[in-house]
This record gives sequence, structure tokens and C-alpha cells, in this order.
Amino acid sequence: MTRWLDGLVQLAGPVFLVVAVGLVSTTVSAANQVYFLNALVAVAIVVAIYVFVGNSGVLSFGQISFVAVGAFAAGVMTVPLDSKKGVLTTLFPVLRDHTIGNVPSLLLAAALGGLFAFVVGLPLMRLSGLAAGIATFAVLEITHNVLQQWTKIGPGATTLSLVPESTGPLQGTLGAIVVIAVAFGYQRSRLGRKLRATREDPQAASGVGIGVHLQRLWAFTLSGALAGFAGALLVHQLGSITTEQVFLELTFLTLAMLVIGGLTSLWGAVVGALVVSGLDSFLSQAEQGVHVLGVKLDLPSGSRLVCLGAIMAVVLILRPSGLTGGRELRLPRVRRGS
Amino acid sequence: MILAALNLNFQTLSDAIGLGAIYALMAVGIGLVFGVLRLVNFAYGQLIMAGAYTLAYTSSWPTWVSVVTSFAVVVALSLAMDLVVFRPLRGQSPAVMLVTTFAIAFLLQSVALIVDIRDGTLGEVTAAFSVLNEPVHVLGGDVRKITLVSIAVAAGALLLLALLLAKTTIGLHTRAAAQDFRTARLLGVRANRVIAFAVVLSGLLAAAVAVMMTVSAPFVTPDFALQDTIVVLVGVVVGGIDRLWTATLGGFTIGFAWGVINGLLPTDKTVYLPSAVFTLVIIVLLLRPAGLFTWGRQAAGERV
Amino acid sequence: MAETLLELEGLEVRYGSVPAVRGLGLSVDDGEIVGLIGPNGAGKSTTLHAIMGVVSPYAGEIRLRGRSVRGRAPESIARDGMALVPEGRRIFADFSVEENLRLGLAGRSRHDRLDPLERAYDLFPVLHEFRRRPAGVLSGGQQQQLAIGRALVATPDVLLLDEPSLGLAPLAVDSVFEALRRICDHGVAVLLVEQRALHTVALADRTHVLVGGELQLTLTPADAHDPDKIVSAYLAS
Repeated sequence: MTRWLDGLVQLAGPVFLVVAVGLVSTTVSAANQVYFLNALVAVAIVVAIYVFVGNSGVLSFGQISFVAVGAFAAGVMTVPLDSKKGVLTTLFPVLRDHTIGNVPSLLLAAALGGLFAFVVGLPLMRLSGLAAGIATFAVLEITHNVLQQWTKIGPGATTLSLVPESTGPLQGTLGAIVVIAVAFGYQRSRLGRKLRATREDPQAASGVGIGVHLQRLWAFTLSGALAGFAGALLVHQLGSITTEQVFLELTFLTLAMLVIGGLTSLWGAVVGALVVSGLDSFLSQAEQGVHVLGVKLDLPSGSRLVCLGAIMAVVLILRPSGLTGGRELRLPRVRRGS
Repeated sequence: MILAALNLNFQTLSDAIGLGAIYALMAVGIGLVFGVLRLVNFAYGQLIMAGAYTLAYTSSWPTWVSVVTSFAVVVALSLAMDLVVFRPLRGQSPAVMLVTTFAIAFLLQSVALIVDIRDGTLGEVTAAFSVLNEPVHVLGGDVRKITLVSIAVAAGALLLLALLLAKTTIGLHTRAAAQDFRTARLLGVRANRVIAFAVVLSGLLAAAVAVMMTVSAPFVTPDFALQDTIVVLVGVVVGGIDRLWTATLGGFTIGFAWGVINGLLPTDKTVYLPSAVFTLVIIVLLLRPAGLFTWGRQAAGERV
Repeated sequence: MAETLLELEGLEVRYGSVPAVRGLGLSVDDGEIVGLIGPNGAGKSTTLHAIMGVVSPYAGEIRLRGRSVRGRAPESIARDGMALVPEGRRIFADFSVEENLRLGLAGRSRHDRLDPLERAYDLFPVLHEFRRRPAGVLSGGQQQQLAIGRALVATPDVLLLDEPSLGLAPLAVDSVFEALRRICDHGVAVLLVEQRALHTVALADRTHVLVGGELQLTLTPADAHDPDKIVSAYLAS
């Protein structure tokens, strides 16, 4: 009974936060709504990354490749036909002459993300530690390079624009909830628990017959699919995308969000994404002059990243296990005497 | 003959060796700090950037004063990084250390951006050591002078470092600390001294690299040496980060490979150079995850 | 006039909330060998680690030549005249024997000898013979001699040893224990943590039996003929 209730709280906490953000976003001006939507998409991306990194304990720098693939796939396939034929003339005919709807684009992005992750994961899941980190980073570099140069599958180095902006408060909130729910379902399932066992003690786990590589591959593929999905949410929120937007800076930012929130819990992923997004938005506002507790704060432009970097470094130095300590949300325990 | 068959000319080879030499120096800088602190300093490139900017802002000064100043700035920044970032982070998980040094890297880039942009334009120019960009006829081919200088400086620096580590007391202490810090401390080796030694050396190397890089690329922006640092980090891990010499070889190899593959690719495909090199990286990591040049099972020493 | 070089008073060391050592008190004078024996997990190694500053004591005092060393960094304590021969020897296998010894000089603050390595070479001639070879080629017993020699080149006042006989053949054990006697005669205070109870009791001026983190009993060399006393001490708790 308590386990069921625990599970409910673990899921409800993140969902509640996301719904709250979504609701508030409908009440603010269009200019400010952007910040809230950014936060929701960030949650989707960070939770997708967490599904692999948090459960397996293997640091991957390549998850943003799947976000990129999802974003470009969904973007290219939803640009209205006439604009596409006019602007993206070098595309493969199958891409150039067809357009799909909003929801199909989300599904396509998820499918491609998952497929790409599976193919990449097959050889790579044997690696651990620094080797895994570098190998997945290499995947990121390759993805970026190919997307930037291969004009038959996308716009190449130019901006992909005119993508329908279908990620408003509703899609943003629902999208984030979908990713959270899938992540939650996975980590509660037998597959998820097997993988977490390998995180704590890989040798012991394989000693009881858990296939470490196989479990990591499942999580990596799922993470890729969710990341692709999040990428589609992203491109539909921005209405455009460039290869630089899904490369180093986003990798750093989302990884930082996860580590600051708490690497090993879903709650940590969501909290980290929301807190850092909120901070980033606040600092952007501060660059234009903002009032805090009666004091006017006016940061010089460009200092937003400095502050963000400094605050993140400080948080990590003071509390390395993250804001949530890497633990899930739970009800306070009532101690029974013993 | 083989070179002609592979479509490689002397210039490409010598450039590749020159790049490898510079990357080898960067690899040593990164490897030294990793050896004593078990920390991958992602912000290493910012030290080079700082050196380059100092050279740019002092370009009207006499050359040697400018160079000495940039060395001083880089070493000071390196020590500051140790004090403010590395020491509090000691003993943390690799994920935390990496993200924090990432954050510092972005922070320093942003600071540079703010300082740079005050004069209205992005980027500063260093005094042209353009004479070093001129070619010299060597062994039947043309080689740029800066390539020869890079190779000479790298070889000299590595030799000096090897002597320092092998023959001096602080070198002995540093080698011991890199292998088994806890025991070294129990014997009386001063942790802070050894770390400072590694950090200062690492800074000196970064400053030297900055000087050499600004010869071929005199235009300095906040992301100066960022791509190079990433490539060197990859090379260091591929080579084997546990030992200083395997890390150095790894840095050299990836720089050399970068140059050679660039020459091998057909002209219309050279934009795919990163993909080619990083695919090679993945293959090597799959075949030899502990490091290309490591043999036997080398476990990283304990950290206290 | 014997000087108390090492003194522990009410030492308590905890790992988390679990006490590994409780209320331990002992002292070692110059020229004395004091043994510390007990079953596995009794807290013997922990005691040495606390003395060297590797772990922080929860309570109690540790005094070197009358001055407290609690809370100081290991390298600072080493430089002050306390040397530890760690469990498992922890020598640097790729370094030469001579380099290993020179490493021990890091703990030296007094410069009274012209050739500081001589002390180690005198005591263990095999080290001189192998001085340029990598330390990894030495046998177990020889490596133990190297570890002790390395601790000695710093001319410490107090020498701590953590199970030096571990993994050694009986002959090697004998020669190590004999060397300890000779070291003592030079005025060094020796605290010897050991598994080999009888050997230790026979060698040391005093041997304390530590069980479950607490001092149970103190034995003298006379008790070396009475194994039952030792066994019952181990079983008491």
C-alpha cells in the first residue's frame, strides 16, 4: 500500500510542477510566455537524458544528437509545402514533396530518435566511464557535422524556418507530462530496476544474470526516442532551428540542469530543469532591468551567461549531489515506535 | 612514392606534425592536472584564450614584454582556477567535476565576450609574427617556419619536462602523487606544493601554445582554442589519460590524424573532416577502451 | 631518562555512527616497542590511520612529543617525526628502490646526516644491492624491508607499522622483527600493529589486545608462553 502511494507521489510531484508552469504560462504576456515554454521543453529534454544517464550511471554527451535528429526531422517534414519547395531545393524528393501534421511529426521524431539511438548504442553500450563519455561526444560531433553539411536531408548550415509553432502551453505541458510518465513507467518497471542495479555495482549485477549491455541499450534507445520527441517539441516551439542550437551549448546546459537538480532521480531532473530555466529567464530579464525586493537590478548585457555559469559552479561546489540530493520526492515518514 | 599514391604532399604532412606538436603540449597540460587532481579540466582552453587575448591587448608593446605578460596572466589564472574551483571539487564524482569545469569554461568565455565587445567589435588582433608564416625549404619540400618552431618548442618542452619529472625532487613527488596520492602524503609529500607545481606547469604550457597559435590565427575571439581543446581532450582519453606519456601521445596522434585526414579527403568532402576523425575515435575506443597506448590493466591510482 | 614520544588518550574513531575505536589509551616511550594485536576488524588499522591524520578522531587526544597532532594533515604529521609503514607496503613498483627511498625523504625536517639513505642501506643491505632496479622485482620480504627503510630515512621519532608480516614467509618475518629491535635500540618509539599474536607478544615490551575497538588486556613478553591467555583475550568482548 505504501509503495503504491510512494509511486503516486513520485509521479505526481513532477507532473504537478509541470502543470503549474503550464497554467501560469497562459496568464502572462506573450513576451513572457516564451520563458515558460522554454522551461517546459527543457523539462522534456532533461528527463529524456535522465532516463539513460540517471538510471545507468553512465555519462553520455550524445543525447542532444537525438534531440537534433528529432528537431530537424519534425521541422523539415512540417514546413508548408510551397515554402519547402522554394527554399529547401536540395532535399531528397521524398522529403521535399511531402508534409506531415503536428502529431505525426512528434511521432516521427520519436521513432527516428529511438532508431538512431539503437544503432549508435549497439556498439557503444559496451563502454563505461570516460570512454563512454568521449564516444558519445563523438556521436554528437558527427551528428552536428553531418546535419550542418548534408543539404539533402536538411537546410545544412542555414536556419530552418517557417516551422509551425504548435508548441504552446497545451502541447508544451502535455509533451513534458508524456516524457515524465514514460520515464516514470520505465524506472518502476523490471527493466528499469535491473538497470539501476548495474549502476550501483555492475559486477554484482552481471553476477546475478543481468545483461549490463542489454539493459543499457534499452535505456539508451528509450532515451533517444524521448529526446527525439523533445526535439520535435523544441522545433515547434521556436518555429525554427539551427545546428548550433542543438550542439555544445545545449549539451552543457541540459547536463548542468540534470546534475544541479540531482543526477539520479526523476524529481531531480525536473527540478533542475525548472530551476535553471527560471534562473536563466530571470537573468535575461535582469539584463533589461528588473525590480527585485524593491532594488533595481540592471545587469550589463552578456553577463547573463557569466552569472549562470558562476551560480551553477557555486551550487555544485556546495552541494555536489544536487538540489534534490538525487532522491525522489516522498511523503514525510511517520515513525512508528520500536 | 607512397605519399604521392596517398595524395599526401609534404606540406600536409609537415602541417599535421606541427598541429600534433601543439596538441601534444596541450595534452601534457591537461594530463598533468589530471594526474595529480584526477580532474579533467574542460576550461583548459580558456587559459589559452586568456593568453591570446593578453597578447592582443599588448600588441603595441615590445614583443618580449608582451609575451612575458601573457605568460604571467595565464599562470595567475591557472592558479586562481586551482584555488577557487579545483580544491573545493576534490573527491567529487567525474560528472560533477566535468559539469563544473564546463561551467567555468562558459563563464570565462562570457567574461571575455563582455571585455572584448566594449570596443564595439568582436575579436582582437595580435601583432603579426607574420615572418613565421613564411615557408622555408626543407628536405625537398616547403614547410612554414611556424611549423618548425612548434615542433622544436614541443620537443624541447617535453624533454625539459621529462628531465624535471625524472631528476628533481618535486618531480619525484609529483610522479608519486599521480600514482598513489594517499601514500605519498603519508610519506610527507606536500599535497598543495605538488598540485601547485602541476598547475603552474600546465599554465606555462598553455601560454606557450597561445603564442604559437596566434601566429597562424592572429584573430582572437572568446571561443579561441575551444574546438582544439575539445579535440585534444578526446585525443587524451583515446591515448590513455592515466599516464602522462600516453596522454601526450594521444594528443599528438589526434592532431596528426586531423592533419593527415584533412589531406586525404577529396576537396569537396573536406567539410566532413570532423565526422571522419570522430568516427575513427569511436572505432579506436571500441577496440581499446583503456587507451590506445596503454597495455596491461592500468588502474588509476587512488585519490585522497 | 625515557621520554614519552607517542601518547593516545581516550581515542574514539567513528565511521559514520559506528564506533571503530573506543576509549583507547596507550603510550610509547623512546626505545620501546609496543604491540597492538587483536582479531580482524578490531580497530587496529583505524588507530594507526587516526594517528597519522588520515581519519579524523571523534574524540580523544593524540600527542607527539607532548604536543597534540589531532586535526593536522598527514604530510604535516609525517614531517613532524611520525612515520607509517602502511598495510600492504604500498611501494611504488615502477620507481627504482633508490627513488622509493628518496621519496621517504619528504618526511625529513632534520638534516643531520650526510647520506640519509645510509640508514636504510645499513639495516637492509639487499636494498643497496638492488638500488637501481625497479622496486617491483623485489620479493615480498624485501619489499617490506624497503617500506620500513623508506619510513626510516626520514629519521622519525615514532614508527608505526601496519601488519608488516602480512603475506611474508616465516624467515622473512623473523628478519623483519629482528630489524625492528635494532631500530628501537636507536631510540625510535615503535607501535606495531600485528596479526601474529605470539611473535608480537614475545618481541614487544608491552602488547595491548584490542577487541571490538576497546582495549581488553595488556600482555608482557612473559605471557608469550601462555597462549590460552591470549586466546581468551581475543574471545572476550
